[in-house]
Amino acid sequence: MFLNLLAKECRQIAKSMIYWLIVGILVIFYFSQLGGMSIAEKPEPGQENYGLAYGGDEKDVMDSTLGYLVSEYMNGKYATYPIGFYKAVTPSEADEKRIGEIIEQTTGLSGGENIADAIEEAQGGAQIVYGSSPVQVKEDLDYEEFKKLMQEVDDMLGGGSNYAADSLESNVSSPKTYEQALEDYNNLIEKDHLTGGYARLFCDYMGILLGILPVFLAVTRGLRDRRSKMQELIACRKASSVSIIASRYAAMLIMLMVPVLLLSCIPLVQCIQAASGTAIRIDYLAFAKYSLGWLLPTTMTAAAVGLVLTELTDTALGVLVQIVWWFLTVFSSMGSMHGGAYGWSFIPRHNTVYNYMGFHENFWELAANRGLYATLSIVLAVFSIFIYSLKRKGRLDIRGKILGNLKRKHKA
Amino acid sequence: MSAKIEIKHLNQYYGQKCALKDVNLTIHKGMFGLLGRNGAGKTTLMKVLATLLPKTEGSVSVCGIPLEDAARVRRITGYLPQEFSMYPNMTVYEAMDYLGVLSGLGSRERKELIPKLLSQVNLLEDKKKKVKALSGGMKRRLGIAQAILHNPQVLIVDEPTAGLDPEERVRFRNLLSEIAQERIVILSTHIVGDIEATCEQIAVLNEGEILYHGTVSNLIEMADGRVYTAQISKSELPRLKERYVVTSMLTLGNNVMVRFIAENKPFEGAQCCEAGVEDAYMYLMHGERGDR
Repeated sequence: MFLNLLAKECRQIAKSMIYWLIVGILVIFYFSQLGGMSIAEKPEPGQENYGLAYGGDEKDVMDSTLGYLVSEYMNGKYATYPIGFYKAVTPSEADEKRIGEIIEQTTGLSGGENIADAIEEAQGGAQIVYGSSPVQVKEDLDYEEFKKLMQEVDDMLGGGSNYAADSLESNVSSPKTYEQALEDYNNLIEKDHLTGGYARLFCDYMGILLGILPVFLAVTRGLRDRRSKMQELIACRKASSVSIIASRYAAMLIMLMVPVLLLSCIPLVQCIQAASGTAIRIDYLAFAKYSLGWLLPTTMTAAAVGLVLTELTDTALGVLVQIVWWFLTVFSSMGSMHGGAYGWSFIPRHNTVYNYMGFHENFWELAANRGLYATLSIVLAVFSIFIYSLKRKGRLDIRGKILGNLKRKHKA
Repeated sequence: MSAKIEIKHLNQYYGQKCALKDVNLTIHKGMFGLLGRNGAGKTTLMKVLATLLPKTEGSVSVCGIPLEDAARVRRITGYLPQEFSMYPNMTVYEAMDYLGVLSGLGSRERKELIPKLLSQVNLLEDKKKKVKALSGGMKRRLGIAQAILHNPQVLIVDEPTAGLDPEERVRFRNLLSEIAQERIVILSTHIVGDIEATCEQIAVLNEGEILYHGTVSNLIEMADGRVYTAQISKSELPRLKERYVVTSMLTLGNNVMVRFIAENKPFEGAQCCEAGVEDAYMYLMHGERGDR
């Protein structure tokens, strides 16, 4: 029965307008972001530009971060991105004073109440350019202590500033040298077999959409029964709640992953073409492996949120919840876009074909992340089955209760 | 497996509100009519029998299977809900096929059964029509076809004729009578004509209580000798309505031919006549103006 139901559900999805809208968005997004992608060529000595390298040694990070802090302190306003959107923060007098003290502690300047004067003096009267104050970091300053102080500043600013301890490294970027570029290229060809790097970039872009689009499919599927007054008709059938919900969920995942896997064939073909006639040994299954390992848990989770909240409330609440979660995730992960810092982010970022070492060294972090979301989505799906079986027996009607309460309040 | 439904001391509550009060019924093979006003508790009883609502108190068994064993009850029960609809963009055949899968039918079984059932409900020629393009009557017939798709021993049909034109209604009743030859069919309705034309056994439900359970002829007998007709002037009508339950009226110029219920001959000129189901139902519900 399950396979028959699965086939029927897939067919229903294939006939729905929302599905083709999702496919259309995926295709348009792919071509707008990756359509003009060309396969990396071996860097040659004397090239004008080799791209940017992020991070540096502790001294560079501290210098650069202090450059931002001093210029923002002098300006009296601090740039923050609490949920990804720009917000200028003007701290309270007490916070401003504390930030001045932190600057004193980290630079060794001593100005007492007038640290601003001391900074200007240290500048030698030159105009302060944002992010590039020549103020030097105190010589004996411990990096861990520095991180702690910067985190204190970030907390005072409400988060999302340049001073969050875990994103201080992104304050430092410098042009790559030929040697760095060559090392990155060699890693891409030898360790990543070319396809690995492009598969990660593909996952980075597709992950953004798959963190939100599946919820629309899940919610519309769940609400279709109520809209079509099919709930009772289905509920009184022989099919078990497990078969009904699991077939719907599996059908959604299959139908969402099919266009993703098809789209992944485009960069795969580009890689095959680039490798033909060379000694590059590409991994033909890299895109499939990355799509299933990296993107499937995101898709599963977004769909499961829609599934469970629609079953629970018979409303489109899942869309709202997922949009909020998606916004918070996408914009808070901007500091880790170049990969290697996956943490527990719902949408892990790796917006480069390079940085193999960042991926390799943090592979188990990423695996744990993906495992967590895959497990979470299965738990949500099981919970949906439980809710559905209760509703089927008339033991749960949250929507009815909400509407009943609203009616009572309206009458009162 | 006994081909009957047994309901004993069934009570059903929605919070504090009692929707069914100590309902006791035994329903055998054939058409069984459940009659009552809107809000009498018919749909609640239907939903309990279809395992869509958990019963609060009492015991119910469907063909020997207790209602608590919902999975087994669902296998032998077909249900046509009051607000019947299907995915509007599916064709008639696709809708039947989808529900067939949910009923656990295999691919071959569905291929054999669905055309047969569509033919029985006179929808075979419309099998490629989308559900949204069907008329109200066609939808109800499709509803019956889907409800008997898995050849259930019990068919529960909730207010199936509401909104149908007279021709469709007659066709639908006949269809139900045909189907009832092999199984228990419970027809819930507030339209007395539906019961009169199809059911031998009936129950009348009022405010959650069974007012009557028995044959249609016994119900009619209760009103025998209490139904009168009289021709009165229009001006006398309001007074008559105040004292008696009027079951029908026909305007004849300045006069009105009324049919009403009275315990004894009410006035000269009133003639006792043969009671019908509608008269008997009205007598049961209102007595001699003693409105319940």
